[in-house]
Parts: sequence; C-alpha cells; structure tokens
Amino acid sequence: MSEDSNPAATPTPCQDIQGDGRWMSLHNRFVSDSKGKEPDVVFVGDSLVQLLHEFEVWRKLFSPLHALNFGVGGDATQHVLWRLMNGELDHISPKVVVLWVGTNNHGHTPEQICGGIMAIINVVHQKLPHTHTLVLGLLPRGKSPNPLRERNASVNALVQAEVVSLSHVSFLDMDPGFIHSDGSIVHQDMYDYLNLTPQAYQRVCQPLHERIKSLLDKHDP
Amino acid sequence: MSAEENPAAEPAPVIDVQGDGRWMSQHNRFVQECKDAEPDVLFVGDSMVQLMQQYEVWRELFSPLHALNFGIGGDTTCNVLWRLQNGELENIRPRVVVLWVGTNNHEHTADQVAGGILAIAQLVMTHLPKSKIIVLGLLPRGEFPNPLREKNAAVNNLLRASLPRLGPVQFIDMGGSFVHSDGTISSRDMFDFLHLTASAYRTLSTTLHEMLLQMWEETPQERRASLV
Repeated sequence: MSEDSNPAATPTPCQDIQGDGRWMSLHNRFVSDSKGKEPDVVFVGDSLVQLLHEFEVWRKLFSPLHALNFGVGGDATQHVLWRLMNGELDHISPKVVVLWVGTNNHGHTPEQICGGIMAIINVVHQKLPHTHTLVLGLLPRGKSPNPLRERNASVNALVQAEVVSLSHVSFLDMDPGFIHSDGSIVHQDMYDYLNLTPQAYQRVCQPLHERIKSLLDKHDP
Repeated sequence: MSAEENPAAEPAPVIDVQGDGRWMSQHNRFVQECKDAEPDVLFVGDSMVQLMQQYEVWRELFSPLHALNFGIGGDTTCNVLWRLQNGELENIRPRVVVLWVGTNNHEHTADQVAGGILAIAQLVMTHLPKSKIIVLGLLPRGEFPNPLREKNAAVNNLLRASLPRLGPVQFIDMGGSFVHSDGTISSRDMFDFLHLTASAYRTLSTTLHEMLLQMWEETPQERRASLV
C-alpha cells in the first residue's frame, strides 16, 4: 500500500483546532530534547506512552536506561510519522526506539494502521540504521467485547507477520491478560477502559523492561 | 441565561463514535457506585478530576475522606449535567461536591461556559440540599499565552461574581501558581500543557484538602471523617 493511498501512513501534523498550540509545543520540546540529550532508548507514541512518564514506574524502570518519552495523547500513526520526520530523531543515536501507537487510528482499517506502523519503522531505520525498533502490540479496549478490540488484534497480527523477517525490528505483545473470562476489562486496570492505571503499568512494564534490557545488551555485547 | 438560550447548559451524553462505548461504561459504573457506596465527598468533572485519582495524592488525602471520583476525560458541562441528571446523584448524601469542568467547552463562549457551570451547581443544590459545593476554577493551559487562557480566566471571573449568590458554594482559583513571570507554563506542572503532573496535583490538592477539612469542622455531623 503506497503512502499516497494510506492516510495512516501519510505524515500529518495535528491541526491546532482548540487554540492553545499544545501539540506543536510538545513536538518542539521533543525536538529540543533531541538536540540536547543522548538517550539510549526513545519511547514514541500516544497517551499510553505519554502517561507512562508520569508514574513511578518510569523513574524506577526506564529512567535508569537513559530513556526519553516522546508520547503525545491522541496521536495516531500519521501524527507520529510526521513528528519523527520533522526533527524528533535528529541529533540522537538511541540503541532502541520503542513504538506504541495505532489505537487512535479511528476510521482506518487494520491494513492501513499496519501500513502506518510500517512507515514509521521505515523512517526510523532510514534515519537511524543501527537502531533497533521494538513495536508494542495494541491493547484491547472498552469494558466489553467490541469492534475496536477486534481491530487492534488484527493490527497486531498483521504487524507481527510483517516484522518477523526484519532483523532490526521486533514485536512485543503487551497484554498480560487484561480481558477477564466474562470478556470484561476492569477499571482497576484501565480507569477509562483505554488508559492504564499505575498498577496495570507495573504489570505490563516488567516484561517490557526485560526486553529492552536484553536489546541493549545485544547492542553492546 | 436559561437552558434554552445556553447550549452549555443543555444536558447531553457523549455519543459513541469510536465504537467501544467507553463513556457510557464509565457513567454506568458511577451510577452503580452511587448504589454501593456512601461517599462524604463527590468529585465530578472532566479529565482534570479523573486523572487525580491515578496519583498517590488521591489515596493520601481524599480516600480517607471517603471520596468518589466521577471524572470523565473530555467531558463538557453538557456531559456532566446529563450524567448528574441520570443517576450519578442518586442514593448518596455527600457532605461536599467538588465540581471541576469547563475547559473542554470549545464550542461555547466564556459566558455560556460559566452559565453551564452555574446550572450544574444549581442542579446539585436542588438534588442534594444539604451538600456544600466547591467549584474549582479553570486552569490556564498551553505553553504560552493564548486565547484559551483568556477564555478560562473570563469564565473564572464570571464564576467568582455569581457563585456566592447561589448559596453554600466556594470557589477556588489555583491558576496563578502555574504561570511563570514570562507567561509560560512548565511541563513540570502540566506534562502536556493541560493536564497536571503529580507534583502540581499535590500543590492543588493541599489547598483543596484544607478547605474540605474546614467544611468538616463547620458541618454538624454524627460521623467525622478520619483525619490523615
């Protein structure tokens, strides 16, 4: 699928409809972070990435790995693509880029969303040929079974298949079993049935932390 | 301004366009919590309220006061009004209702937003005549001065003037503490120039907590909330 025909893979900045320029402020801050800092790990994505930074788990598990957080709430793949093509990867050489995006791609098909994620992976590889990209699987959402859960599961299957042959990319399923036997997700895990509570972050971040550490070790044996 | 004239005072649920029904799930959960719990404090509003419960400060300062959190991210005054008219004030007798909403009312003018907040306060007073109300002012937003800061400040000025006339309503405006002398807001206070960090919530919560404890002293009740 070419970029022209896939809106999820067409780099698009967020329009400032509300009037306070917050999206651009965040992007500019990330660009400036890239100029001034030397991260080993860069997290990129939507609110699931952004909110992670605000809880203890970030300080405990990821700050020690010299990680930067370039998450923006509400971002879809086309927004992340634009940000990475417009300065957020310049002047840095992280060993690992952690990518978690796709759940906000409303109106796009799983194929389009997968295409958007692949476009991001390609941009990272072009700009940072020695960097490993770790793609995180989309989580289920909503209190009860619904079409978005199916969509996200399809995206994960498509992305996993695409990256299996790429040595500079790997995939990590982030769902520790949030869906209970009755099909429900509880608010103790996702307070709004989309975003994670601090305790849910603890659960998903343990394996994530292990995987990142092993990627870092492989990078510098 | 009556509800017919003010769109910000028209109750309206959030329509599920995304496809996972999350807003209604959250509303239904709150209605159920009203049946199961006996809160002394009820927090109602948007993500500013909702996020507070995810930080340590909630457990430290507000859980001991038997507080419930009915915040939903993205909510406008219309959405909060609908929720309170459809079960979220049933079966409970909180001593205090804390109301924090208005920053998401993008389609409405400052006058309309203030009118919407007043309509919510009036609804609470009608439904819970023994409860006191604390209204939190809209915080400034955006990294630099911008029209939304002016609008939120205008809403606050209107509230400051009109809320006291309603009855047992207090107004707290904490906005001043977040804007630096150069007009900027730091991401150390608002990680996305809208939502508060843990440390900023702590600053705001300390003041709010003190006001709640004062109200406890003033309210004759057979049961006193445990102090921290």
